[in-house]
Amino acid sequence: MIRKLSALISVLLLLVLLTGCWSRRELNELGIAVGIGVDKADKGYRVTVQIVSPGEIVSGKSSGNRTPVTVYEATAETIFEAIRKITTKSSREVYLAHLRVLIIGEQLAREGMEKALDHFSRDHEVRTDYFVIVAKDTTASNVLKVLTPIEKIPANNLYLSLNSSEKLWAPTATITLDELISDFVSEGKSPVLSAVSVIGGKAGHSQKNIENISPTGYLKYSGLAVLQGGKLVGYLNEKESKGYSYITDRVQNTVGLASCPNGGKLALEVISSKTKVKGKVVNDQPQIQIEVKTEENVGEVECELDLTKRETIAELEQLANQKVASIIKTTVKKVQNDYKSDIFGFGEAIHRADPAAWRQLKENWHEVFPKVDVIVNVHTEIRRIGTVANSFQNERKE
Amino acid sequence: MSDTVKLSLRQFTILILLYSVGTTILVIPAPLAADARQDAWLAAIAGWLLGLVVVALYVSLARLFPGMTFTAFLELTFGKWLGKLLALPFIFFSFIGSSIVLYYLGNFMTTEIMPETPIEAFALLFAALLVMGLRLGLEVLARTAEILFPWFILLFTVLALFLTPEIDSQKVLPILEFGMKPIIWPALNFACTASLPLYVFLMVYPVSFQHKKKAGNAFFTGVLIGGIFVVIVTFLSITILGVELSAENLYPSYALAKKINIGNFIQRVEILMAGMWFLTIFFKAAFYAYGFITGIAQLCGCKDYRPLVLPCGMIIVASSFVVYPSVAAMSEFESTVYIPFAITVGFLLPLLIYMAGLVKKRINHQELQGAGTDD
Repeated sequence: MIRKLSALISVLLLLVLLTGCWSRRELNELGIAVGIGVDKADKGYRVTVQIVSPGEIVSGKSSGNRTPVTVYEATAETIFEAIRKITTKSSREVYLAHLRVLIIGEQLAREGMEKALDHFSRDHEVRTDYFVIVAKDTTASNVLKVLTPIEKIPANNLYLSLNSSEKLWAPTATITLDELISDFVSEGKSPVLSAVSVIGGKAGHSQKNIENISPTGYLKYSGLAVLQGGKLVGYLNEKESKGYSYITDRVQNTVGLASCPNGGKLALEVISSKTKVKGKVVNDQPQIQIEVKTEENVGEVECELDLTKRETIAELEQLANQKVASIIKTTVKKVQNDYKSDIFGFGEAIHRADPAAWRQLKENWHEVFPKVDVIVNVHTEIRRIGTVANSFQNERKE
Repeated sequence: MSDTVKLSLRQFTILILLYSVGTTILVIPAPLAADARQDAWLAAIAGWLLGLVVVALYVSLARLFPGMTFTAFLELTFGKWLGKLLALPFIFFSFIGSSIVLYYLGNFMTTEIMPETPIEAFALLFAALLVMGLRLGLEVLARTAEILFPWFILLFTVLALFLTPEIDSQKVLPILEFGMKPIIWPALNFACTASLPLYVFLMVYPVSFQHKKKAGNAFFTGVLIGGIFVVIVTFLSITILGVELSAENLYPSYALAKKINIGNFIQRVEILMAGMWFLTIFFKAAFYAYGFITGIAQLCGCKDYRPLVLPCGMIIVASSFVVYPSVAAMSEFESTVYIPFAITVGFLLPLLIYMAGLVKKRINHQELQGAGTDD
């Protein structure tokens, strides 16, 4: 009897387990957010969320007349409130685990973005593998409202484009929240963020935009945003951004322009690049040595050059050295003079090399940084010249 | 008590190893990085070596009472009432320890993985497992450890290997920026979390390994190898997350596991890595609870500890809900009270008892000799 009773009780207890997972969330109840934007509002923040419209991205089943993503906005005093407030407009709960980009509006960036980032580092749902981007001359909300061709999900377009431009073109930087936060708190390094601008105004907001073969409204990365003390202080142009990538050893592959010794142009492909930044304190004066080693290939020749000769290659190597060194020097000068923000991590280099001196320097590093002496050494090796030896342009003249 | 329990040396080593890795691996990089900055890994090494001193004390202490549990030895040496009184702090520590470990597990789950599930659900399920394991006895626990150990090694190796591409070794520079001084406190913290709780094995090891010198070596080996895992995790945490993020994260190792991304293909595997911690946390909780329950059994003069497992398990679950009212209370307790508390109960008291035991042994010896000459 007791045996049967206990068996019955255990069976009943098992029923408790059959009710399913406690924190289950069905896919059709989630609004998968791929992009989130934070702007300054009168009181607090305006949060814009780009949510995937699941019916429209399934291949072959889309109705074609609805956008693949929808954007919701809400304004509240804190970001968390704003995100929750979105449920008053959206049918689904905002789910942040698949976030690709976090966009900070320019105004908020200029007034200080640190406070806006806490929720993203605290919330357990948000991961750390998305990129943080600044909306240049516009609001984050405008960036998230632009529809893009090829990639149905604009946030994915932003993510992938940033990834590939960093790999192949260099003047952009993929910064994740973790890197941003550790740069914020570091005493010897200030953060930068990639900047994205909206081209074509509101043209990109409508589905019509991507019906054109060449959309009139689109998003474009334009250099890096320099931060100082948590606030945006200015932008680097494309060339300076490339200099930043060289100094911080972010260059994986890029193309550099050089002028030929006797007029004309030449493009060199950088296939690998390695930078070492060393700090030193000489007579109480901090000094930075930047050593760059690059390997390049000849990619395009628009002048008369005898590429079969070793002297020519040696000459080109010299040219490339000067070119890269000048990019780096202009960047450093610009940042030292205009922004006074140690985005290169020179302070950290000094800290590593001479901790005792750093303890004295760090108190007013902000003022010391613009006066830091920077020595640049570039060593280039050109190994290959492509599939042809001399350019056919040379042949024609004979 | 159960004199029949026989553990192999291999099992014992594994138990010690898993126990000392325990909760340490999940949380220790945070306090280490907060105090020792980029030298956190050095502090881990220092704490690891400090742990060996502690083990040396436990091994020589255990040599005084082969075939007995620690509490039985206390009663024998100090008399019934003083002995029981001296056993109380140890029992209390084990009790608090097991509640804390249970709280850790629940808190980890509710913070990082399932925030809507009540913490009670995790504590109850896990405690059910504990009660089952303890009722089945030490041998079963030891064999479980032996079976699960390769999985622990596998998960750890995968974690460490997959993270190597992310390492930025410059982050450990400059080494010893402020000298040895800032390392001492975190090293103590490390030893208090990883090694001092090992005293619960005084309830196991002298009983199961009578007169075996090799068991002492197994004790050392377990702590040595266990320490390596924790040192590696601390190093990875500093070189990958950096000092600030390691210090700020409640669970830096979990944050580390989130970083795994091999070719955009192997990613989001952190929950598999969490399996590793469930393993080690289980053994930590099990042996804390074992220390508590066998201690109580000895105190009450029970022949077998098993009938006490269920009620004591229930008490542990209940106290795990109240042991820390909030996460802030946890970090405050750990950074202020826990270290002196652990040193007092886990090191100073055993040291005094050891010295008292030595004196007593000599007196006994002389009395015996004296008795011999008198006759």
